[in-house]
Amino acid sequence: MVVGSVSRGCQVVVVGAGPGGYVAAIRLAQLGKDVILVEKDARLGGVCLNVGCIPSKALIHASDLAHEVQGAGAMGLTVEGLQVDLPKMVGWKDGIVERLTGGVAFLCEKNGVEVMHGHAEFVSDRTLAVTGDDGRVEIEFEQAVIATGSRPMGLEGFFHDGEKVIGSSEALSLQTVPERFVVIGAGYIGMELGSVYAKLGSQVSIVEFLPAVAPSLDPEVGKALTRSLKKLGVKLYLNHRAERFEAGDPSTVIVRGPKDEKVRLPADVVMMSVGRLPNSDSLGLDAVGVETDDKGFIAVNDRMQTSVPGIYAIGDVVGGALLAHKAYQDAKVAAEVIAGEPAAFDNVTIPAVIYTDPEVAWAGLSETEAKEQGYNVVTGTFPFKASGRAMSLEATDGFVKAIADADSKLLLGVVAVGRGVSEFIGEAALALEMGAFLEDVALTIHPHPTMSEALLEAVEAALGKAVHMVNKK
Amino acid sequence: MAFVFSFPDVGEGIHEGRVVEWLVAEGDTVAEDQALVKVETDKAVVELPSPHAGTVLRLHAAADAEIFVGDPLVSIGEPGEELPADTAPAAQEAPVAADAAPASVPEPSAPARRPLATPRTRAMARKLGVDLGQVQGSGAGGRITDSDVERAARGEAPAQAAPAAPVAASPGIAQATAEGEVERVPLTHLRKVIANAMRASKHTSAHVTHVDEADVTDLVAHYRGVKPVIEEQTGVRFTLLPFFIKALVATLQRYPAFNASVDEERQEMIFKKYYNIGVAVDTPEGLIVPVIRDADQKDMVALAAEVADKAERARERQLTLDELRGGSCTITNIGPLGGVFATPIINQPELAIVGLHAIKERPEVVDGEIAIRKMMYLSISFDHRYLDGAEAARFMSDMVKMVSEPMLLMARL
Repeated sequence: MVVGSVSRGCQVVVVGAGPGGYVAAIRLAQLGKDVILVEKDARLGGVCLNVGCIPSKALIHASDLAHEVQGAGAMGLTVEGLQVDLPKMVGWKDGIVERLTGGVAFLCEKNGVEVMHGHAEFVSDRTLAVTGDDGRVEIEFEQAVIATGSRPMGLEGFFHDGEKVIGSSEALSLQTVPERFVVIGAGYIGMELGSVYAKLGSQVSIVEFLPAVAPSLDPEVGKALTRSLKKLGVKLYLNHRAERFEAGDPSTVIVRGPKDEKVRLPADVVMMSVGRLPNSDSLGLDAVGVETDDKGFIAVNDRMQTSVPGIYAIGDVVGGALLAHKAYQDAKVAAEVIAGEPAAFDNVTIPAVIYTDPEVAWAGLSETEAKEQGYNVVTGTFPFKASGRAMSLEATDGFVKAIADADSKLLLGVVAVGRGVSEFIGEAALALEMGAFLEDVALTIHPHPTMSEALLEAVEAALGKAVHMVNKK
Repeated sequence: MAFVFSFPDVGEGIHEGRVVEWLVAEGDTVAEDQALVKVETDKAVVELPSPHAGTVLRLHAAADAEIFVGDPLVSIGEPGEELPADTAPAAQEAPVAADAAPASVPEPSAPARRPLATPRTRAMARKLGVDLGQVQGSGAGGRITDSDVERAARGEAPAQAAPAAPVAASPGIAQATAEGEVERVPLTHLRKVIANAMRASKHTSAHVTHVDEADVTDLVAHYRGVKPVIEEQTGVRFTLLPFFIKALVATLQRYPAFNASVDEERQEMIFKKYYNIGVAVDTPEGLIVPVIRDADQKDMVALAAEVADKAERARERQLTLDELRGGSCTITNIGPLGGVFATPIINQPELAIVGLHAIKERPEVVDGEIAIRKMMYLSISFDHRYLDGAEAARFMSDMVKMVSEPMLLMARL
């Protein structure tokens, strides 16, 4: 114990108040534990609430609205002189963030979770030092949950100055719409925010090192996304390596093409979205012996236990799918294990969504994965161009594809591209968790007219009996 | 194609051993079940038999080598067959090894997939410490239900699998022992009940079996004569069994001690004023004894119909508990299954059980002449604690008279 520091105790300390940490803290408190939640930032909620999921979805919706209304001539709507007041839009978004992070603080308080702000570092396997504005406090704990999340990865040649070379966080709070917006990396974040600024009027270029967007998903998804990005006027530089940033007016992003040719992309703002790194390096993990992999992700078992007894880790910092809803589940598992319950992370699927236009959502196995696992695969695809609801939304791009075991008819996966598919991928996840067969979904009445009917149609197509399209022979 | 025989799990928690001696050499031809190698474990030295016939291509472990369960021991195949790439360790020939080693559960052709169970059931399995991979689902399409998990937690057999379940064929687990392959199948609930009842009866009663024989030539002749008529009149499939039930009831009426039980605590005989006759029924899952109530008050056609109905429902496991208890004496009809005679076990708390055995044509002396007669043995197992052998002999003699002379029986109806 350092002289002059304050020492105190609790049963469980949770490090990081993002979707993993605050959920773990609240659930632990509900299970009767005395919990301290440590957060380095002033606001709770982590990346998700402050600079991730929620704020990006706010801007995506606002930009969708602007884009959609300008393309609604066929519906008899003509808008002239649409003004985009970005500071106001960002302010509206900030209001949402304020409400939500305040909501988390309220929930923590009402559940009896004590929140401490400051930087946390393990001193021993039972002591955590928290250094904040009010000095240094040492917390003696019985169990600790590490939920420190992840941060954007940088790239050599691109010095992050927060103005011209930015990350996704700054991209959510720009005060003017950049004329030329270059995105490095065509992952979730790059495609989502690239689409936002394209809709708000930027000339957007996306540079991707790999030969396709969403290469791990069904090839149809990549095709649909490529098509829709092109429709928005986004220039895709696939198979291109981002080399360096040259400041100027305008600045330039130098990229190398597949034949090593040099391409110069003028840019007012460059957003880096090339991947994320775990926040595991400044926690003093070495001092207590918590093992990490070569990228720094903390190794855990299905009960969220690290290599050190009593220390748990959850969410992005343990790797796997870097998604808030995965962190929620990790958090509940860890909390219940700490409370002595026989919990484990044994989910069949972690569904995922990319909020592009159209949206992409999936759950379970892709067709390729199912084949690799030795299934005799049958699929059924229903295109939204055959959906009445999609036509009425003027949103006929995309499809729903069901992947199943041809022998047993067990549903193995669903992938969907289209307007609002994020809202019904949860149904696919439920079906997969319940071990549903194609018939179970096909015999479930889906409300009409909805986009979710396409799931039923895709499943019926996989059974060879779709009604609203011609079945494949 | 060569297969690799791996050190099987010989049971009793043995995971490692030492090669004592090879009983075959590379190039030898081996027959199925021929001993290949002597392996010493901490329990014993065991000889491991070859699961297949073939030629020994390679011995993977030297004499005196330490081996662990799953380690490859020997490759067996066609003479002169090349082993797949010598560089690849034989242990990695997983599919082949799995095929050859009797220790492993047969690989299903379907891909290795997670057990089909809802999140709630999975949580319950964790709570009860049940490995879902070992549970056979009884739900639709082989889904594992909450009750399957509960049953597995209690160590009980799985419920009847739904017909659609692809793995309904055998719930057994193949295992290799030093003696050879065995299959472990959990006892059904019915089998446990039977086992307990039989043991309890043998421990309780002083079983003695008395056997007599009857000439049923006339009975069979009468029966054959009336069977088509009765069947046409009533639509009931008429059998010989009701004659014997009636004969038993008539005999019990003369010897009430055989239609009794004993209150051991109070040391009293309980003479039953009713004639509820248990009829042993052989079902695929084991012995079930439905009770024909008040057999003295029913005619033979009604008895035939009731026996047929209860036997059918016994086989479908649809009898109610009430239909299985309350008997005063039991009859077991072993005859159709062959044999000379048997010594049945008393159905507690009754004091006697009568066995009906096969009717066979035999030469008999009738009025000083040898004649071909239809003969059968009747046995009675009785509790010698409360019934004496002389009484049992008289009991049987009377019952034999009644089935030999149908008119004697008719006279009593």
